Amino acid sequence: MRAEPIRPIRTMRYLRPQEHWGWIIAIYLYLAGMGAGSYIIGTVIDWFVHPSRVVTLWGQPLDSAKAALLWGPILVAIGAPFLILDLGIKKRFLYACLNPRTSWVARGFIILSTFIIFGLVLFTKSVLSLEWFHAESGLWHILEVIALAFAFGTALYTGILLKATKSIPLWNTYLLPLLFLVSALSTGSMAVILSTLGSGLFSHDTAVLKVLMVGEQILVVIEGVVLYLYLLGRHRVSEQGKDSVRLLLFGEKKFIFWGGIVLLGFIFPFVLEGIAAFSDGNVLLIFSSGLILLCGGLFLRFGVLSAGIKERIPMQRWTEFQYHLRGMK
Amino acid sequence: MGMEEKVLVVDQQKCTGCRQCELVCSVYHTGSSNPSRSRIKVFKWEHAGIYLPLICNHCEKAYCLEVCPTKACHREPELNNRVVIDKNLCIGCKTCIMACPFDHPFFDVKERVTVKCDLCDGDPQCVAFCYAKAIFFVDADNIQMSKKREAANKFLESMKQIR
Repeated sequence: MRAEPIRPIRTMRYLRPQEHWGWIIAIYLYLAGMGAGSYIIGTVIDWFVHPSRVVTLWGQPLDSAKAALLWGPILVAIGAPFLILDLGIKKRFLYACLNPRTSWVARGFIILSTFIIFGLVLFTKSVLSLEWFHAESGLWHILEVIALAFAFGTALYTGILLKATKSIPLWNTYLLPLLFLVSALSTGSMAVILSTLGSGLFSHDTAVLKVLMVGEQILVVIEGVVLYLYLLGRHRVSEQGKDSVRLLLFGEKKFIFWGGIVLLGFIFPFVLEGIAAFSDGNVLLIFSSGLILLCGGLFLRFGVLSAGIKERIPMQRWTEFQYHLRGMK
Repeated sequence: MGMEEKVLVVDQQKCTGCRQCELVCSVYHTGSSNPSRSRIKVFKWEHAGIYLPLICNHCEKAYCLEVCPTKACHREPELNNRVVIDKNLCIGCKTCIMACPFDHPFFDVKERVTVKCDLCDGDPQCVAFCYAKAIFFVDADNIQMSKKREAANKFLESMKQIR
């Protein structure tokens, strides 16, 4: 004999999390955030440390230090096609910028495109360092500031896109853009650490690397605090907010949350980075913690996306009310 | 709203859950009798005997219209102030589906665009073919008073049952 469901109305499809935006959109948001975050961190390092390491490739001098620091726009450029991949009719992707007045998808299209173009131009100029670029010109500095502003815009936009969906309480909060911004900076700085390690940029100057690692750990802690406040706020805001948080923490998405977000995104990297600091900057440990943290960032986007449950409409509340009335007869 | 504007209204208690409306809607809009491609969806709670046809409300402040990045989703004031999606402009981003609190626009897997109720250009087929007369197409101004009266009566009846 089957047991009578405790709350049969609430178990119906209407309260299922959204399934329209999945892994593809999560990868798009993740790469856009990480690329923007790494560009912000890389630009700040470039401004204050001025690292330079010229190598010759096919007879052409290239500044590998700049390449390791300013490769963020490439990540965003790789991520953007994932949005196109998710479209019903992909060849119409250029239409996506027609309504920037009210649509955040259109605004995002413009923000990301501008950042990719400006970022790639600056990347080319910094890496190739050709004479006719006039690298010391003040115009480049203005462009750098503009690109930095658009990088912040890109990192924030990944959260604002979801926040603009007012009918899903889990997403409709200003803490979400903040969470995605901090996560973008955290994953971005780890991407910069990995690329500088890979290129051997700070192998002679471990002080910069140590500052980066400490900064990274601080960002992970801030991200953890923001995530806690975000989930706490969403749990209190409405019934479907509570449903979403429960689904993420204790429901069918719990493996994504505890395994992907908490373990991979916070605990593992934090512990491994701590061990690496004591073992005098063990490169293998830093690489492992970096890759694990980057996976955690992806799971954070996917977890938030996949746990979004829509607010109940008045008709549904009325139906539930009627159902309970029948039970009372 | 002007006097000439008409809206779809559902009497949920009359709905028998036959899904005839889904079928005729699909035939009218796509030429195929495939309820998964219709612009109306009947939500069912079989064990409770409750059926809820969900239609587009063509909201005054339509979120689908706001979030559409291509302006494919637009309002036509001359045709019952309806909100419709231009299939030639839609890119199938599904943002309108996410934004609608009524879960209304649907993604047509065959045409790869989002589709929604267009009131069948003034002659809704769901109304014409609903044998239980659970869906009406009535003047917007008339329905306001009767809807309020109906809701008040239902509330009164419910309160009596609770007592």
